[in-house]
Amino acid sequence: MSDVYKSVVKPILAGFGITRRRLMQRRKKYADVTVQYPDELREQYPRTRWRHFLTRYDNGLEKCIGCSLCAGACPARCIFVEAAENTDEARFSPGERYAVRYEINMIRCIFCGYCQDACPTGAIILRKDFELADYRREDFIYTKEMLLEEYPGQSEEPFESKVGGVYVNG
Amino acid sequence: MAAAPTTDTVTISINDVEIEVPKGELIVDAVKRLGLEIPIFCYHSRMKPVGMCRMCLVEVGFKQPDGSVRKMPKPQAGCTLPASEGMAVYTDTELVHKDRRGVLEFLLINHPLDCPICDRGGECPLQNNTLFYGPSTSRFIELKRHLPKAFPLSRYVTLDLERCIQCGRCVRFTEEISGDAQLAFRFRGANMQPTSFQLTEFESKFSGNVIEICPVGALTSTKYRFRARPWDLETKPAICTVCSNGCSVWFDYRVGKFVRLNGRVNEAVNEEWTCDRGKFGHDFYNSPKRLLAPALRKEDALRTANWAEAYAAILEAFEPGGNAVAALTGPMVSNESYYLLQKLFRGVFRSNNLDHRWTRHLSAASDRLESKMGMPTVATSIEAFEHKSAVLAIGTSLADEEPILFLRLRKAWFKNGTKVVVACDRDTDADSFAHLVLRYRPGTEMALAGGLLAAAVESGRATVPDPVREDLKRYSPSAAASATGVPEDRIREAADILGPNAAIVTTHRLLDVADAQGTLEYLAGLAMCLRAEFNLYALGANDQGALELGIHPELLPSGVALADAEAAAEVGRTMGIEIPREPGLGTHELLRACADGRIKALWLVGCDPFALHADRDLVQRALEGVEFLVVQDIVETEATSYASVILPMLGPAEQDGTYTNMERRVQRLRQVIPDAGDAKPAWRIFAEAMLRAQPQTPFFSAEEIMEEIARVAPAFEVARYDRLGHEGTRL
Ligand code: SF4
Ligand code: SF4
Ligand code: SF4
Ligand code: FES
Repeated sequence: MSDVYKSVVKPILAGFGITRRRLMQRRKKYADVTVQYPDELREQYPRTRWRHFLTRYDNGLEKCIGCSLCAGACPARCIFVEAAENTDEARFSPGERYAVRYEINMIRCIFCGYCQDACPTGAIILRKDFELADYRREDFIYTKEMLLEEYPGQSEEPFESKVGGVYVNG
Repeated sequence: MAAAPTTDTVTISINDVEIEVPKGELIVDAVKRLGLEIPIFCYHSRMKPVGMCRMCLVEVGFKQPDGSVRKMPKPQAGCTLPASEGMAVYTDTELVHKDRRGVLEFLLINHPLDCPICDRGGECPLQNNTLFYGPSTSRFIELKRHLPKAFPLSRYVTLDLERCIQCGRCVRFTEEISGDAQLAFRFRGANMQPTSFQLTEFESKFSGNVIEICPVGALTSTKYRFRARPWDLETKPAICTVCSNGCSVWFDYRVGKFVRLNGRVNEAVNEEWTCDRGKFGHDFYNSPKRLLAPALRKEDALRTANWAEAYAAILEAFEPGGNAVAALTGPMVSNESYYLLQKLFRGVFRSNNLDHRWTRHLSAASDRLESKMGMPTVATSIEAFEHKSAVLAIGTSLADEEPILFLRLRKAWFKNGTKVVVACDRDTDADSFAHLVLRYRPGTEMALAGGLLAAAVESGRATVPDPVREDLKRYSPSAAASATGVPEDRIREAADILGPNAAIVTTHRLLDVADAQGTLEYLAGLAMCLRAEFNLYALGANDQGALELGIHPELLPSGVALADAEAAAEVGRTMGIEIPREPGLGTHELLRACADGRIKALWLVGCDPFALHADRDLVQRALEGVEFLVVQDIVETEATSYASVILPMLGPAEQDGTYTNMERRVQRLRQVIPDAGDAKPAWRIFAEAMLRAQPQTPFFSAEEIMEEIARVAPAFEVARYDRLGHEGTRL
């Protein structure tokens, strides 16, 4: 009987003891470790690679020239680019060529960043928005309209949580 | 690469490895025997070397009596250097590598390096050579030269002058291969530009080839511009089905859609060239007018239906059979489909009302040269033209009608001095290299043909039976001269040039002229008397196949005439059907019978009579007059609006099948592009119709049909899929 006490009951009680001790300590000390997502967000490392952006030059022109090099580099084969020719009336990017259609299949993407590496104009970059969950598969196809910055520099701004989390910095 | 045993050989050493090569072989080619490669830009094995780009520099020396090698002080261009005894070539020395880096650096100074937006990027010899042999960085910090981008050189070709490396391939192509000599260099040095003379439009029937041979992205395809990058594309071998030459090509497609076509090497047919009509003529695959679902006319409007309803309606309408039904076909249908169509018509509908011919003159079975004179109408292979001593091309503009044969004939003249006599009623591209041009008045073909035969008889080189000699009196060379407007001495000279190693070439276009039969007989007679070869080549992709496989009111597969009751019954037994005895009607009669209501149901297979038939009015009356019209086609045509039933058919590259080209070469085309919509291969449509009409074992694949064809028409034995060679096989 005492064997049972020694090898089963006592360790359990000891375990609860640790729990009790931790509960007694001030909660703040552990806030550094556990982030209360979705209420809280932690600032990410500068080179974090999440959701892509197609960026613009300061004058508003798209950087993407529709060259498909990103699609060629992508190991998941999840980028589709269709190019067309700029005209003086309808100019999207400098030079002759721009992307009319640009799609990334976010379910397939492995966030390796090869596309960013391959891009000769620095158009496609992976930024910090990691809130990519969705309900329908089709919604994971990010189109050019979704990927393109609305204004130059938008992608550089801190990412705002869709569920209203605030930044806590550890 | 096997050298002919009679060629003299010399011993040279390449990187100290001794090797025997044919004397005079260029060093760029000789090193390939050792599996080595010398980088090149301007050299092209089908054109004369010019040594313009200096990419191919190698070190060369000669063996001295004491065994040492004395190198020449400067490197030499491997593409202009013929092998000679004792030559020592070095392709892998420090000096050679330095030279290559230098040449590439020099070329890149004047190159915009806009690879990311260049259509050639990814398959560009300049990129590849730079990657393997060039400097990895640039020392050039000055301003680049700037020149017009995207200059429309022709309808199909866009020129980017900044990217040109002045290799001269394009210029030499138009001079040596296509012969139109439309391009030339302007200015000198860094300002040198390939352009058309006077900056006029680059007009050539073969302009698309320069896109492929340009080693950079200076010449690009206007149609393909920015459509894809090479790594976006999937590529499969195919054959072109736009004309009867049947060129080997590559089909490039992206997400299941045809994007572009490139030439594929087939030494027996197109070498590596394509014509513009073929290269840019496959738009129908992506046409917005593609037929994608069957449709049925209900209460005066065509409504989408399913296949079962379509078959039911067709079988009901074709039920009377015999003289009351008919089918007409176009040229872009496979051998297998033609065979099944005639089996369906003869076996199920008990009718011989089948035709594939749209020319004005339709020879009756008894009038065919094969039966009447024992003369084959297709004798010479495309390749064989290279070794003909003389060729008479009559009544045809080869560059338009048989473009690849035209290139081969030009090559024969260019390389081997073949004497070409061009007889046509208008200017043709072949005039430029013709030994003799016979320009006759339109409609006088028969007089000219008769005149040629008469001239051969007069000179004593040909003997003809007496009745023919009598008949020829009206076409004595002088009479022919006054009838045709061709000077008499030219007629005589032309006849003199032809001989045993000559070929006479004409096409089905000649069947449109007055007195076509007489003209053909004189020409065949001329060939027969002089022991030359006679060729009456087909024009449509598979016209020849349609003829061989019995899409004809009086001929069965393998050319057996219906009139030959015993042979016909035998063919029927092999096919497993009973052949109806009554001959059918030829195209014109058939349309007339539709117009006055004798034919109740007509099936159009891949043809638009409005486009193919000379008499629009007759076609309109026929399509209005016939009670039930099935239009089976790839795209919507003028005829579809008259249809009772529309059957969507897959294009040649969307199904398995074989095609017979004008030299009777059967070539296989495997499915390249996925099925479009609900459309089906033509053979499957016929097989399913047969199955619904009479229970039987259906055909499951095109290959099974070819097995049966080979039994019925033994000539096709060589065309069984397991025997069909890579380059196709001539029947
Ligand atoms: S991050 Fe990697 S996997 Fe994702 S799109 Fe870019 S290249 Fe493809
Ligand atoms: S994102 Fe960059 S690599 Fe991708 S198509 Fe655009 S320019 Fe080319
Ligand atoms: S356009 Fe192309 S083929 Fe013609 S000279 Fe320039 S680089 Fe050569
Ligand atoms: S390939 Fe020899 S000089 Fe151009």
